[in-house]
Amino acid sequence: MREQNTLLSAPLTFNWTLSFRCNFSCSHCYSREEQVPELSLAELKQVVDILRQKQVPFINFGGGEPLIRPDLYDLAGYATAQGLNVSMNSNGWLLDAGAAEKVKAAGFKSVGISIDSAEAGLHDEFRCMPGSFDRATAALQHLASAGIRTTMSAVISRINFRQFRELLQLAREHEVKQVYLHNFKCSGRGFQNREELDLTPEEWKDFYREALEVKQETDDLSISFDDPVIASLPGYDADPLVKGSSCGKLSLHLRPNGDITPCGFIPLVVGNILRDDFDTLWNESPLLLKMRTKEAKGKCVGCGAYEDCLGGCTARAFAETGDFSEPDPHCWK
Amino acid sequence: MKPKRNPDVIWRHEQRREQQLLEAAERGEDISEGGTVILVVNGTMHQLNLLGGEIWRRCDGETELAAIVQEIGAEYEVAAEELEQDVREFLVDLQQRGWVTDA
Repeated sequence: MREQNTLLSAPLTFNWTLSFRCNFSCSHCYSREEQVPELSLAELKQVVDILRQKQVPFINFGGGEPLIRPDLYDLAGYATAQGLNVSMNSNGWLLDAGAAEKVKAAGFKSVGISIDSAEAGLHDEFRCMPGSFDRATAALQHLASAGIRTTMSAVISRINFRQFRELLQLAREHEVKQVYLHNFKCSGRGFQNREELDLTPEEWKDFYREALEVKQETDDLSISFDDPVIASLPGYDADPLVKGSSCGKLSLHLRPNGDITPCGFIPLVVGNILRDDFDTLWNESPLLLKMRTKEAKGKCVGCGAYEDCLGGCTARAFAETGDFSEPDPHCWK
Repeated sequence: MKPKRNPDVIWRHEQRREQQLLEAAERGEDISEGGTVILVVNGTMHQLNLLGGEIWRRCDGETELAAIVQEIGAEYEVAAEELEQDVREFLVDLQQRGWVTDA
């Protein structure tokens, strides 16, 4: 019960999907098949008011493609005026020079652009969108010119796990300050295409060993991972704020209709931010309590790494087995 | 010295955690590792323990170091001279990290 006893008063970050609509149709997308009603701008602003009251400091807009909603700038400006720190992740297609100026005016702290390969053809093929690499790199330049801090996100999969250094070099060439190497999640289309895209546990181990070494040797670029399965490897930050998955402990996810899920990859609804009392959901939701109090199962029982990884990624375990507490299928131990 | 928090450091006072730690301290438990203030610096999260949090919350750029020592000493019934060295060392560390400046 340690995690529940030391629970924060509210999440630090809300990952907010304003719309599941997207101008791309990527092979790994968790949300492409989803359709739910979207909130109006007035309702979205009510959500911001709740987040401000609960002292949630960070909002990260994702999707779907966040720029699909033309009122994104109004909403972001409203949130910024309330003192929240706003960022987004975009495929970059709609981010021309004019849009970059609007992003700046709305007060975005940073914008992440998804680029999965330094090789244009491979990125375009993975994203199922010819020309998307050129538009994504152009977006990075437009944002940099507008004075926006940029980050780059790559979903690590079979197409790029051996070429992540090239991605880092690409980031340097485009003035990117931080690169997120996201672990592949078997959700939505990612689940359907997992045979083709996912690495074996041993391949994940080799990738992370190498990537952690590179991270330690790199001082001109921040390299981030969000995968608790690496807790047993050398070079891992031994003192994170929470152990195991941070979903439901440090962050939550908002769906386009205001439903809250623990993260974007766990399609289980905790409640609705506009209809339910947030403190009750955060402190008492049986779903969140279960995620925060996982018990070792299967090969995790007796494993020396469990205290640090807490079974690895809860979303992956759930996608594969329907049980939060089962071992992360990416675990090599 | 009037320590002032770097505005780029995002932070939140965790009052419920603080209350739990104070109760644990009354029971005689070691609470030195428990965080009461969460900081996010360039995307990395840190936490300050009870004393660190008390100091941090007073780094408003207007309160003198001596006043910070006096206020915390009075709140926890500790002699100011006992506290001063700890507060100074903590502030030097924060300054080196770039999280506070001398206003």
